[in-house]
Amino acid sequence: MSANLMSVKDISVRFKSRDGVARALDGVSLDWKRGEVLGVVGESGCGKSTLARAMMGLQSLEGGQVSIDGAKTTGRSARGELRRRVQMIFQDPYQTLNPRHRVKEIVTEPLVVQGVARSEHEGRVRQALNDVGLEPDRYLDRYPHQMSGGQRQRVAIAAALVLEPEGLICDEPVSMLDASVRAQILAVLLELQRRRDLALIFITHDLSLAWSLCDRIAVMYLGRVVESGPAVDVIERPKHPYTRALVTAVPVPAPGGGGRRELLKGELPDATQVPPGCRFHPRCPKRFEPCDRTDPALVAVGTASHEAACLLFSDAAHAERKVPADA
Amino acid sequence: MSQLLKVEGLRVEHGSKAIVDGVDIKLQRGESLGLAGESGCGKTTTALALMKMLPEGLSQSGGITLSPAGVDEPIRINKRTEAGMQVVRWRHISLVFQGAMNSLDPVQRIDSQISEVIRLHEEQVSGREVRSRVDELLTTVGLTPVLGGRYPHQLSGGQRQRVMIALALACRPSLVIADEPTTALDVVMQAQVLQLLERLRDELGLALILISHDLGVLAETCDRIAVMYAGRIVETGAVDSVFADPQHPYTKRLLASLPVIGGERGLAPPIPGGPPDPGDPPAGCAFHPRCPYSQERCLEDPPLREVVPGHSAACHFSPWRSWPAVGDPTIGVRS
Repeated sequence: MSANLMSVKDISVRFKSRDGVARALDGVSLDWKRGEVLGVVGESGCGKSTLARAMMGLQSLEGGQVSIDGAKTTGRSARGELRRRVQMIFQDPYQTLNPRHRVKEIVTEPLVVQGVARSEHEGRVRQALNDVGLEPDRYLDRYPHQMSGGQRQRVAIAAALVLEPEGLICDEPVSMLDASVRAQILAVLLELQRRRDLALIFITHDLSLAWSLCDRIAVMYLGRVVESGPAVDVIERPKHPYTRALVTAVPVPAPGGGGRRELLKGELPDATQVPPGCRFHPRCPKRFEPCDRTDPALVAVGTASHEAACLLFSDAAHAERKVPADA
Repeated sequence: MSQLLKVEGLRVEHGSKAIVDGVDIKLQRGESLGLAGESGCGKTTTALALMKMLPEGLSQSGGITLSPAGVDEPIRINKRTEAGMQVVRWRHISLVFQGAMNSLDPVQRIDSQISEVIRLHEEQVSGREVRSRVDELLTTVGLTPVLGGRYPHQLSGGQRQRVMIALALACRPSLVIADEPTTALDVVMQAQVLQLLERLRDELGLALILISHDLGVLAETCDRIAVMYAGRIVETGAVDSVFADPQHPYTKRLLASLPVIGGERGLAPPIPGGPPDPGDPPAGCAFHPRCPYSQERCLEDPPLREVVPGHSAACHFSPWRSWPAVGDPTIGVRS
């Protein structure tokens, strides 16, 4: 058994449109360890949702490989296996829950698809609802429209967890919910994580949330991971100028807010027009001579598992590379 | 500073249900007030009532008086007819809607949408002046005037939101109400738009009512804050005072649930339950069923009263000197 639940190796996803070819994912590699809470952060359009879809096999790859427990996830049976072991929930449960199905049917469906014995269904559905804090007798016969946003997200989590997967990918799971309800949903997820050693991926634009709850964070920009490492290192001591800019922009709910600051200019470019060299260089306050020509790879910065793709660190990188990774 | 806006006992009813139930607001010229709260608490309804733009079926009562600089008689908004309001809206108060960037006319170019607003309110201006003001407005909100020739779909979300702010400023109002102006934007663009609002406030002496569910956004941008719950203001005061020393259990628990980078990691015990139905709050203190500190007395209505200088709360037990610990504080604390 490998330490990684899932591994993504150098994957690329392209979307063709009238405006050209969008490089939605452009050589992304990522390891997701068993029981780990991994945060994937970045602005809209950076490719974080595409990455999740690619990992679930919902997106065809231009290149690269996704594996679970060291085994490829391509092919029909491998995909079935993947879905049993890793599940996904989305931002808006109102759009993903079938409006004409009752909670009972929604949560039972994965068991039917995976061919779990009928006799087990009711017990497992009740258990899953209890796990997410919904009293089965009150909610089994309800339709999605009869529930609040928070309750619907709980149903989505129950349906994802009824198969007792080892991993759950959450794409902006709480960004549509009110603050008080948001905390409840996060508490449900983290409690399950702790009790079952469930691995979680939080895809979010909320850096404070990722910092607060994740073991590790990967920061994406225009289809690439530009920095990754332990959550505290990446957010409190960011290395890549883009991560620094993101952290600086976070509004702070404390007296005085975040104070005065220098903000990044401009916007995320279109993925059909990825700049040459370092893709961040046109917006980068620290760019220097070769940044518009040399595409930087991820290199170790500081601690062994903290990496950034920036030429500022390429010299340090040569020394660091001799240290075995993951030491 | 002199007073710009005074709202007294604002009530908005849907049939016999009060969605906004006795809201008082005072705003000085050039001041910014943040209106916080979860969905259904009445913050957007309050904003619409200030503009007398409530949808059909809702009725409002209570005094709303606006005293813009250079206008001799205070404008008594609550006494104005619809026709009378049309000369007030956009000219004296304007509104940047929630998700406003999708409310631009898709088949009209940006510059003609802005000049239409100017012409509607100021019939005397010449075509040349309108054109130069449109360019000036676009520059003010950080867009190059060239973008005026584009259609909304040719702009990004952040650019469209800037156009909406330019529209709100077109007639040089003294009060802008912005309802979740950055909710649909990414963090960098959000920070840019908030910085823009702050700069405009300095430069134009604009007063701002900023409505947001995001307490971080309000902490960054506002002088004062009012926290709403079930149609009422439950806490209000200077932003720093409310964030440093909240005096209502709702505000306290909300703030505790928000991570602050560099502070304590993990998840504080969440507030149980959900916000009450609009217009149908629990008796007494509307927060009492969710409050970890509630007692029998909470079945009585707590008045909003000053508990710390310049800082009011509607809780029988304010001022709170210390907060007893609630539940297991270690959920999700990770190494």
